[in-house]
Amino acid sequence: MSQPVVNNNRQRPPSVLIAEDDQALRELLSFALHRAGFSVACCNNGLRLLEMLEQGIDDASTAADLVITDLRMPALTGLEVLEALFDRPNRPPIICMTAFGDAETHRTAIRFGATHTIDKPFDIDEMIELVRAVYKYNNNRTKE
Amino acid sequence: MRLTIRITAAITLGIVLIFSIHSYLSIQREREQLKKNLSREARNLGESLLFIVTEIWDSRGEKAALAFLSRRNLLSPSLPARWVWIDAEEGTKFSPLLPGSKLTELSNGEPLSLLAGSDDGHDFLLTYLPTINHSGRIGAIEIRESMDELHDYVQESLRRSAMVVAAAVISGLLFMTVLGSLWINRPVRRLREQAERIGTGDFSTALDVGGRDEFGALASTIEQMRGQLAAAKQAEEKATREQIEALEKLRHTERLATLGRLSAGMAHELGTPLNVISGRAKLITNEDLSTEETVHSAKIIGEQAERMTHIMRQLLDYARRGESRKQLVDVSELLANVVEMLHPTANKQRIEIKLELPEEPLLARADLGQLQQVLLNLAINGIQAMGQGGTLQITLNPHPTIEKQLKISLCDQGSGISAEDLPHIFDPFFTTKEVGQGTGLGLSIAQGIVNEHEGQIKVDSTLGEGSCFHLSLPLADPGAENA
Repeated sequence: MSQPVVNNNRQRPPSVLIAEDDQALRELLSFALHRAGFSVACCNNGLRLLEMLEQGIDDASTAADLVITDLRMPALTGLEVLEALFDRPNRPPIICMTAFGDAETHRTAIRFGATHTIDKPFDIDEMIELVRAVYKYNNNRTKE
Repeated sequence: MRLTIRITAAITLGIVLIFSIHSYLSIQREREQLKKNLSREARNLGESLLFIVTEIWDSRGEKAALAFLSRRNLLSPSLPARWVWIDAEEGTKFSPLLPGSKLTELSNGEPLSLLAGSDDGHDFLLTYLPTINHSGRIGAIEIRESMDELHDYVQESLRRSAMVVAAAVISGLLFMTVLGSLWINRPVRRLREQAERIGTGDFSTALDVGGRDEFGALASTIEQMRGQLAAAKQAEEKATREQIEALEKLRHTERLATLGRLSAGMAHELGTPLNVISGRAKLITNEDLSTEETVHSAKIIGEQAERMTHIMRQLLDYARRGESRKQLVDVSELLANVVEMLHPTANKQRIEIKLELPEEPLLARADLGQLQQVLLNLAINGIQAMGQGGTLQITLNPHPTIEKQLKISLCDQGSGISAEDLPHIFDPFFTTKEVGQGTGLGLSIAQGIVNEHEGQIKVDSTLGEGSCFHLSLPLADPGAENA
């Protein structure tokens, strides 16, 4: 897990954008992913997430390679963000976190374009593996 | 007992009256009979004497006749006879004892019997047997009979009658007393005792006085009444029990429904800290963290555990079932808790909750869980009425018009309630929400709970602008509670 992700296309490490309103969880995710070799950016609501996806994390050149978002958030919910991104051609893969979500919530998220959904509480190692897998899959697909 | 006395008195009076009339009539009749006998006897005697005297008078003259009468009187003094001339002057030797005016019938030659009283109070029966002599003068034998014997007889009869009446009265009284107590007093007393027992609400045992008389009939009527009362009481108790059970069930259902609505939020609330804890724990175990990072992670684990404990406690407080357990509740604190619990729901719908609390604490004596349920229900209703966006204003104040009460107002900016729905919103199962969205029990249960706390819920609403629910509750006296 400590092994850094090798990014062949770019000079910088792959960037993950985390949207989560709970500070403790946000910190945990960013710390763990950072240690796993990702570059991490955070926000605490849906509106800010949408802004960062539209305008880049710092500027237009730093687009997120992968998004982890909570579904239930203030301002805009995760589902609403998904809906807003739905028609965008090169949107990054999105992993949705739900709290004990029922099957319906998962289906809705997938229908709205989520790459993957994961129930809270999740195993942090599993999450990192998931992020790696999704990133790798997406990276390979874009290369082809 | 009074009834017995009355009946006894009436019957005794009747006995006395009948006996008296009977005695009076018998005595009268006997007296007449006796008088008739006496006068007949006197007449017989008089006729014999008249015949003898007339014979002597004719053969030996007046003197011899009168001497005969005198001699005869000496021999038989009980019925003295004398010779009278009807036309003799009063007070002379041959004048009759009765005045001449009463003796006019004698001139017809008919015998006559009359009663006369003497000066010393004795009564006499005077019998005259007339005869007309040669010169046409009317003379008569006058026989005097004392009535003392008759009086004595009447006295004796009266005395006997009185004794019989007295004996009848006494034995009647005794008889009636015994029978009255046996036939009237005892059943009446038993009836009264049992009726009193029924009067106190004890319908348990059947009423039985026994007998086939009117008391028995009355007792069986009362027994029927008792049966119906007992049945009615049982039915009422059953209805009350069912009502309580139904209410309890309703409350439980509503509690579960509210719990369901909240559980999504709860899952979010608990899921997140759980996630953080497990993640941090893994970091500590798996990674070669610096001491500083390890300590930081451990601290975060502690904080998150604390946070979960807090949430669990709130959940338990909310979900705890059972009897109403009243305690002193700081309403400000309760409202703050409620607002905290509502945060996820409100955030999801982008609704701001404004909580306005007074500076001094307001205490109410209430069941914390139930009051929390009421406030959550009202607040969630408000949030649901607003849909997306808006402000839910919650205000706590001492009641502005009612002394020793507090007032909680929950005002939303939602769709409001139409005038025709307004009178029904507290009815059970009344809901304007879509099928599956609400049970229609929340407000009715909230009202029930508030009423149990001797409070009131009032609502004012403008369609399209929002609704305000005003909840008033009695203020608790903290001095009395602390003891």
